[in-house]
Amino acid sequence: MPRLTIDGREIEAKAGQTVMQAARDHGIFIPYFCWHPNLSVPGNCRICVVGVAEKDGGEWVEIACNMPAAEGMVVFTASEKVKARRKATMEFITLNHPVDCGICDKAGECTLQDYHFEYNGAASVSRDAKTHATKHFDLSERIVLDNERCIQCTRCVRFTREISMSNGLGMLDRGDHSIVRPSPDGAFAKDAYSDNVIDLCPVGALLAKDFLHKARVWYLKATPSVCPGCERGCGVNLWHRKDEWKLRSPRQAARNEGIDRVTPIENPAVNGPWVCNKARDLPRLFGRVRATGPLFKGAPAPCEAAVLEARALIAEAKRPVAVVSSWASNEELAAFKAAFGSRFALVAKRDHEPQPGEVVQDDLLIRADKNPNAAGVRAVLGECGTEVPKDADLVLVWGEGFDFRAVPAGAKIVFLNAFLAPENGHADVFLPLSIQTERSGHYTNFAGVTSRFERCFALPPGVLHAEELFGSLVGNGRGA
Amino acid sequence: MKHLIPEFERMKARFPAGFDSSLVLPCLHRIQADRGFVADEDIVGLCEYLKVPRIQVEEVLSYYTMLRREGIGKTHLQVCRNIACSMRGAEDVIEHACKRLGVKPGQTTADGKFTLSTVECLGSCGTAPVLMVNDAYHENMTLEKLDALIAGLS
Amino acid sequence: MPGRQLIMNFEVTPASHTLADYRARGGYETLVKALGMAPADITKEVTASGLLGHGGAAFPVGRKWGVMKPNPGEIHYLCANADEGEPGTFKDRWILEHAPHLLVESMLITSYALGVRHAFVYIRGEFDLPYRRIQGAIDEAYAAGLLGKPVPGSDFALDIVVYRGAGSYVCGEASGLITSIEGRKPYPRNRPPRLTVKGLFQKPTVINNVESLANITGIIRMGAEEFRKVGTAKSPGTQLISISGHIAKPGVYEVEYGYSWAKFLDEDCGGMLHGAKMKCVVPGGISTKVLTRPEIENLTLSHESVNPAGSGLGSGGMIVIAEGTCMVRLLQVLLRFYHHESCGQCTPCREGMGWMHRIIDRIVAGEGVPDDIERLYAISHANDGTTICGMGDAAGFATVGILNKFRDEFEYWIANKRSKMDGRLECRA
Repeated sequence: MPRLTIDGREIEAKAGQTVMQAARDHGIFIPYFCWHPNLSVPGNCRICVVGVAEKDGGEWVEIACNMPAAEGMVVFTASEKVKARRKATMEFITLNHPVDCGICDKAGECTLQDYHFEYNGAASVSRDAKTHATKHFDLSERIVLDNERCIQCTRCVRFTREISMSNGLGMLDRGDHSIVRPSPDGAFAKDAYSDNVIDLCPVGALLAKDFLHKARVWYLKATPSVCPGCERGCGVNLWHRKDEWKLRSPRQAARNEGIDRVTPIENPAVNGPWVCNKARDLPRLFGRVRATGPLFKGAPAPCEAAVLEARALIAEAKRPVAVVSSWASNEELAAFKAAFGSRFALVAKRDHEPQPGEVVQDDLLIRADKNPNAAGVRAVLGECGTEVPKDADLVLVWGEGFDFRAVPAGAKIVFLNAFLAPENGHADVFLPLSIQTERSGHYTNFAGVTSRFERCFALPPGVLHAEELFGSLVGNGRGA
Repeated sequence: MKHLIPEFERMKARFPAGFDSSLVLPCLHRIQADRGFVADEDIVGLCEYLKVPRIQVEEVLSYYTMLRREGIGKTHLQVCRNIACSMRGAEDVIEHACKRLGVKPGQTTADGKFTLSTVECLGSCGTAPVLMVNDAYHENMTLEKLDALIAGLS
Repeated sequence: MPGRQLIMNFEVTPASHTLADYRARGGYETLVKALGMAPADITKEVTASGLLGHGGAAFPVGRKWGVMKPNPGEIHYLCANADEGEPGTFKDRWILEHAPHLLVESMLITSYALGVRHAFVYIRGEFDLPYRRIQGAIDEAYAAGLLGKPVPGSDFALDIVVYRGAGSYVCGEASGLITSIEGRKPYPRNRPPRLTVKGLFQKPTVINNVESLANITGIIRMGAEEFRKVGTAKSPGTQLISISGHIAKPGVYEVEYGYSWAKFLDEDCGGMLHGAKMKCVVPGGISTKVLTRPEIENLTLSHESVNPAGSGLGSGGMIVIAEGTCMVRLLQVLLRFYHHESCGQCTPCREGMGWMHRIIDRIVAGEGVPDDIERLYAISHANDGTTICGMGDAAGFATVGILNKFRDEFEYWIANKRSKMDGRLECRA
């Protein structure tokens, strides 16, 4: 294992590591644009230059991302020579960059912005007009590209070649006319992982149309969560307004309770640094119209009465069946088990099935089971049935995706669901539930890895937490 | 492009196994020699034939100066304007060609007979200035030789 | 004749490039000798010869070969770099047109030494006659049973593919060349790994300039010891110098290392065009720094003589510049070229070339400011050793070389909005 010295600190690198990797492993920061731990090393941005001591006391500079860590090497990350080189490189990178941070969504989390302050900070020394390139180019239906902001690090291009394998993007032309473009065969539009290039982009060249001009990023906070889009359970950050930046206008108030964007949380055990586009679309999934009050056969009912009625129906049933949601958290499943024990015959339900056009399964992340916690259901409740027994006289349906034609004639229905749906009105008792963003909990993914999601928003009025509800559904008859 | 596949197969046989991607450039050369330029349908056919991603062919096409996506005039006049040629009168040759043909570099005459281009060093500095007429070098170019050449091709 | 000749040592006739004529000159006899040697001994001989690469960097050929440790059963490739694109350079073209079989024989010997089964000649796309000549020679060699199947009397076989470029300067850079053969945009690659470790399709690959390879046959034929008797101790052998510009007799000359530079220009090349006075000379391709006439007066054409003068023999592309030539316009042509040829992969070159080109255009347009000269220096400096391939450096060298020696012309143009030398590049009678 080579031992080398970086900024006076002796460290031991792993065999085959570059200076960049070794430094990062030991918490020493070296700046980079094009380098990424999960992508190939093109060494094109040249900002990661470091100095290496020569035997004669001199110093040569070389990029850290492609330099093997060698025994006895003495590296400087901020010598005068390195600083001068970095400043020159920053001058080059910003030479034709519009520096329009004021109207750029990336401002506040832009590597270029941060490095400019850190390594240059001076006004442009150029007297010549900046070159122009395409702005607002539709890279796909989801992503807009600003070629003037692009610093040609090729992270996005490499992502489509090395990770998503769609070969959806390329760098056309040459020299300072080089330009990122999608493949004309539409490969990028079909790339189920395309939105990762937005996070990969170290500048504001690639932006999500869904998030375009929606909020400055410092208005938002990130709540760690788990994508419920399939049984992979990728780690995600759900971005929503900070309390101090809530919109005051009544017209915009709804946006305060919505997710503005979703980004991946790196988790090597589950999703690495990536998520698929479905995770990016969670705001739409969570943003569907909610059920906001209990119903008796479609008629609005007071909450307390509805709970009591449900309790009575459960108590009276002789052969009750519960259809369990695979979107329920481990905590909710445990509460169900604690409340009811073996009162119900259990049927496991896939709340969501693959939608037309959706990638069913691939070799990267996407799994065929489009529910986050089927493994949790099995772990907490054991093996469940797949069909409602014909002799059931009460069916407790928990969550979406149930075909009510499977309910035996004459059986009572208690339905727990979060969203507005025609089926809500068919139940004898309907109770509205919270969604993932209104509670915290855990999901267990297909590989047995359990991940936690945190609450983003308060519980809306009239809506119940399943975890608290189940206790109230145990007891005798309609009396308290 | 499909009718060239037997030729491509012979080319492929000269390469080591597993070099299909290498055939992109030779095939594009051949397609351009056949059609005068590379059309979208050629690209699609080539990608299918070589099993290479479309974007790779697009990148290659956009990068190299000799490859074209559109047709040009019947005769392609390319005047070198790099240092050695400029030192031997290439600037006069270019100016004269522009005047004589009534076009600017990069343009094609209205009758479609000539396309005039300027290019960087053609490696013919000892016989500068050099003019490429389609594939052939015409060296030690003079304004008189240029006139005769254009007259002969008009 | 500027010294002894090892490559241009035969009379060029309409048939001198053919197999029959080459055989009559003793062609392919050295191959038989080489196949009787152990491969490692050939590398040893080449190393001992001290042959320096003729692509521009003068890297010892034997040292490059030595990195590649041929393992039987493993794949290795050889590429002859015939992407001659450095402005001022047209000497490989001479070999391709007039001595293509010398290259083929040399590639056979080299491949045998390095355990290569498949070799490539990467030739620039614009070269039409050179392409037809080398392809013709290879076809003749195939027909004669020298290629494609074991060479008679041995079990060594080689295939050679001629790969045509399509108009790109950076393909002449070894790793750009390899990426081009892989069928992609010819982006040069970072080192490490060296190409002799991971080259074409990640296999160890040796890339040698055409002229470097053309010397191999002679070295094996005469032996390293004899070869070293030609040239100087530090620059053994000869160099093909392609001379152009304001010189009376431009063309390709084979010069024995150590030959007087002044004598070469004044006698062998017939002196200046139209009897003009010489202002300066680009020694070896535009990426080497210009030297003035007084600077070269006592130099010989050898690396040990030219390098200390702050320049180099590079690719042997010598451009002679007469008094009265406008160096501002000249630099403008060079910077336009570098801007046009920058592949755009790495930051300093992608942005720097365009920036320098815009500055020089602005100066020529009469809108320059004194600060522009410092800016050109700064951009050149910021490209020195910071780019993936040598192109950024090269543009910087060329710029600094001209600015250092002719700064007054730039200052004059900026101050007076016109050329000090009436803006001419030609040398009129």
